[in-house]
Amino acid sequence: MQLLYDFFTGQAGMDLAGAQIAVASLMAVLMFTVMALCAIIFTWMERKVAGFMQSRYGPMYTGRWHGWAQAVADMLKILGKEDIIPGEADKNMFKFAPILVLLGSLLAWAAIPWAPDFVAADFDLGLFYIFAVSSLVVIGILMAGWSSNNKWALYGAARGAAQMVSYEIPLALAAIPVVMRTGSLNPQDIVIAQQGGIWNWNINPIMNPFLFIAFFMYFIASIAETNRGPFDMPETESELVAGYHTEYTGMRFAFFFLSEYANLFLVSMIAVLLFLGGWWAPLPGMGWIPPALNFIIKGVLLVFLNMWVRWTLPRVRVDQLMYLCWKVMIPVSLLCVVGAGLWMMAWGQLK
Amino acid sequence: MGQYFTDIYLAVSSALQGMAITFKHIYKKPVTLQFPDERQVMPERFRGFVHNDTAKCDACNICAKLCPVDCIYIETEGKAKDRYMTRYAIDYNKCIWCSLCTENCHTGSITMSHDYDHAVFDRRSLVYEFMDPREARVPCHRATRIEQGWWVEPKEDKPGAGDKGDDE
Repeated sequence: MQLLYDFFTGQAGMDLAGAQIAVASLMAVLMFTVMALCAIIFTWMERKVAGFMQSRYGPMYTGRWHGWAQAVADMLKILGKEDIIPGEADKNMFKFAPILVLLGSLLAWAAIPWAPDFVAADFDLGLFYIFAVSSLVVIGILMAGWSSNNKWALYGAARGAAQMVSYEIPLALAAIPVVMRTGSLNPQDIVIAQQGGIWNWNINPIMNPFLFIAFFMYFIASIAETNRGPFDMPETESELVAGYHTEYTGMRFAFFFLSEYANLFLVSMIAVLLFLGGWWAPLPGMGWIPPALNFIIKGVLLVFLNMWVRWTLPRVRVDQLMYLCWKVMIPVSLLCVVGAGLWMMAWGQLK
Repeated sequence: MGQYFTDIYLAVSSALQGMAITFKHIYKKPVTLQFPDERQVMPERFRGFVHNDTAKCDACNICAKLCPVDCIYIETEGKAKDRYMTRYAIDYNKCIWCSLCTENCHTGSITMSHDYDHAVFDRRSLVYEFMDPREARVPCHRATRIEQGWWVEPKEDKPGAGDKGDDE
């Protein structure tokens, strides 16, 4: 990042404010591109993973090699679709909702540390900021469901809001032990504190078993946060047609789609930076791997885990979902916070 | 309280079991056939599209008469030794794949193939013409067929007329 600032202030001859605006726009465009790319790659990956888990191939023809261009073709097709706004819909809200959903996920991408000196917005409350802006998605989904003026959409949105609001609690609670261990809310500091190979990562159960449990709490809550199976209550194809985006077509539907996969990668990246050592290589001798590549590989592995869970487990019922959140996950994550604190006090790991 | 922890244990263990099963399937060979490139081998008696070998056919009209939906069109011209078949067509819009025509064909020229993939853009293209009268007019009378060197059913097979179609 410093390199970019130096470039804009030095070679391009801008003042500091100009350089900041230039860097911010550049990073915004870059993040949006990466986000769109990851939506395209993960749709293809999801279809392939689902296929192989069900003893079939998935897309095979488009683009010759294992249908790699299928997602690109789908995106192009979706751009050409008619943009329908239902006559009874609340038009302005209907138009604004997909943008808000996308914004919620895109904003959070700003604070992700990709590499030692590559983070769009390096600030001390980074983790707090990520959890704060990603809850914008709930409002977007609620708006989409309400403004569609469709019973399925409204049911989906109500379920989605209930689910996402509930699961934000264990999600944030599971991150607290990590913050306690690091003594900082800055994502970059959290990653730096995990230096020195796989046994120094926060997930290491020998170092602190409560952090290990917290990782699984985070992972389960993140599945529910991204509205994916087995917690895809807002979208339940078999019950609610498509949930909150039933009435959306064309590019507006693509926005929801994009934000779903962007969120999927976002929660995976947060899990990586919290528990899996961020951009550090797994072993000390592997320093030659570029840090950003480390980070992305770990993120994609977690995305694979997410898809694996989705294509294995059946969808839970709404009451089971709420039971799991309020009666199991919140007590366990609270226990993790207390236990991790006591453990760190006992072994003198507190910062 | 004991039930609570049992439930958690069961949920976690069954989820892990399920995930182990799906993971195993990643390494199994997919059962999918890539359709246009790979095709399923049909059973021997599969009733696919009807095929008529016009070189064997003597336009006896049995198939057209038996056909319950009247989808076989046979046109001839001339009489007796000068009788020639000019058209043999099957309308697959009507055909019900009942196999009555093939079972009763005494020359064995009409058979059911294993072919099932004949998607067309226009239903008129489902009327299949089996011969082009400009190229060959098929003689129908036995004497004419022998004279011109067309295929003729062996005479000694005549008593067992019912089984003959299958033997061919």
